[in-house]
Amino acid sequence: MKYLIMMFGDQASMMEMRSKEWIVEMIDFMNKFSDDLANAGELVSAEGLADASRAKTVRIEDGVPVATDGPFAESKESLAGYWIVDVENEARAIELASRVVAFTHGPIEVRQIADAPPEL
Amino acid sequence: MSAERRIEDLLRELAPQVLGLLVRRHGQFDACEDAVQEALLAAAMQWAKDGVPDSPRSWLVTAASRRLVDEWRSESARRRREEAVAALELPDRGHAPDRDDTLTLLFLCCHPSLSVPSQLALTLRAVGGLTTTEIANAFLVPEATMAQRISRAKQRIRSAGTRFDLPPEPERADRLHVVLHVLYLVFNEGYTTSSGPALHRADLTTEAIRLARMLHHLVPAEAEAAGLLALMLLTDARRAARTTADGLIVPLAEQRRELWSKARIEEGIALVTRTLGTAPIGPYQLPAAIAAVHDEAPRAEETDWPQILALYEVLERVSPGPVVTLNRAVAVAMVDGPRAGLALLGTLDTDDRMAHNHRLEAVRGHLLELAGDTPAARESYQRAARATASLPEQQYLALRAARLD
Repeated sequence: MKYLIMMFGDQASMMEMRSKEWIVEMIDFMNKFSDDLANAGELVSAEGLADASRAKTVRIEDGVPVATDGPFAESKESLAGYWIVDVENEARAIELASRVVAFTHGPIEVRQIADAPPEL
Repeated sequence: MSAERRIEDLLRELAPQVLGLLVRRHGQFDACEDAVQEALLAAAMQWAKDGVPDSPRSWLVTAASRRLVDEWRSESARRRREEAVAALELPDRGHAPDRDDTLTLLFLCCHPSLSVPSQLALTLRAVGGLTTTEIANAFLVPEATMAQRISRAKQRIRSAGTRFDLPPEPERADRLHVVLHVLYLVFNEGYTTSSGPALHRADLTTEAIRLARMLHHLVPAEAEAAGLLALMLLTDARRAARTTADGLIVPLAEQRRELWSKARIEEGIALVTRTLGTAPIGPYQLPAAIAAVHDEAPRAEETDWPQILALYEVLERVSPGPVVTLNRAVAVAMVDGPRAGLALLGTLDTDDRMAHNHRLEAVRGHLLELAGDTPAARESYQRAARATASLPEQQYLALRAARLD
């Protein structure tokens, strides 16, 4: 079963509030986390995103798609990065997300990817 | 059939036999497995050029053994060679080696200490003779991820100290059940058409049927193995009719039955007929028998629903569970009317196991529609569409709901 594990938050202000040691530790943690996923044969893909301040949001205005500067959600609720994992069950996906949350204290959303076999 | 295809079929058939023989001789399942994979690749190239050798099996055994020896010669592998020597002292018990070895391999790959994704991957590689690339493509994960999953599974088997033997008699039935379940999951995975190249997924279905057929030949007296093969054949028979050209699901009642595979149906029905009554009926034989009744009906209206209902009643006694009750509710609705089916469905509302199951609402929507309660049917379809984790199913259910507007 594939899950999208989404990490939210405003990286820039998060980093500004932290010590140098914490930032180094965080980078180590994220590298190790991705390595562990790869070693377990569970990693499909993982990406960190450029800061939300660089985002463009495209909306329909007067029937025409228009791009404006800034993220769709408030920047503190904006997507910061994600992992796609292929795991045995939902409990395992939540366990993985919990590891990150225990470190970052930021919220993580776990969503199943709709590629389960149909049962009809 | 092209020469290339013939060679591939031959190689995949020989793969577990050669691997079994090597593991029996040398122990070291993981090293032998790598060696056999390399030998298979070499054979595919050389046989296509020079033709198939007189004794393809011996050719593969020699090629794989040579690779094992090369591996042992390397300095880093010295420690493992010592382990291998210890493993050489396996007693030879004068049994039919090919047959038992392939079966032993299946049990090993479906070892209960492995996670389900690992069991699937290892079975397809070691018993099915598929390459890591093919398995990764079929499951839509990167090749490196699949390689790691397989390698971890092999490590785990090694550290569990599993011997290359058939499971002892008291465990046999449970272990066989795991094997059947793994093959069923491979089949089911192949039935997914939601994402990625549909071709690869169809290949998994074909592979599951091939392995189930092999298992049935290895243990002809196991009625459930026959039941699993029959269930796969009778389900796969409808493959061409199951979706439209653009991938939308077509429900059983609306399928163009002339597209069903007569050969698959005949083979499946023959299996069901031959095994029914030879052993206590189990959780694969019964759904196979039910699929047979569906497949026998020339038109949906001619389906023998009382017969299907009777079979579901037996299934509910043999392996009770909310999903069986759900299916029985459909049969009840077809025999005694949609309201009777809905009443039975109502008994599942308080079942925690069904709390997030989209099928409960999908079936309810269907029965409400049959009962003429359009607004309620529409709501049920919409709830089901939100609950499913299958994209084609979500689209199907959303369309069912929209159609009732």
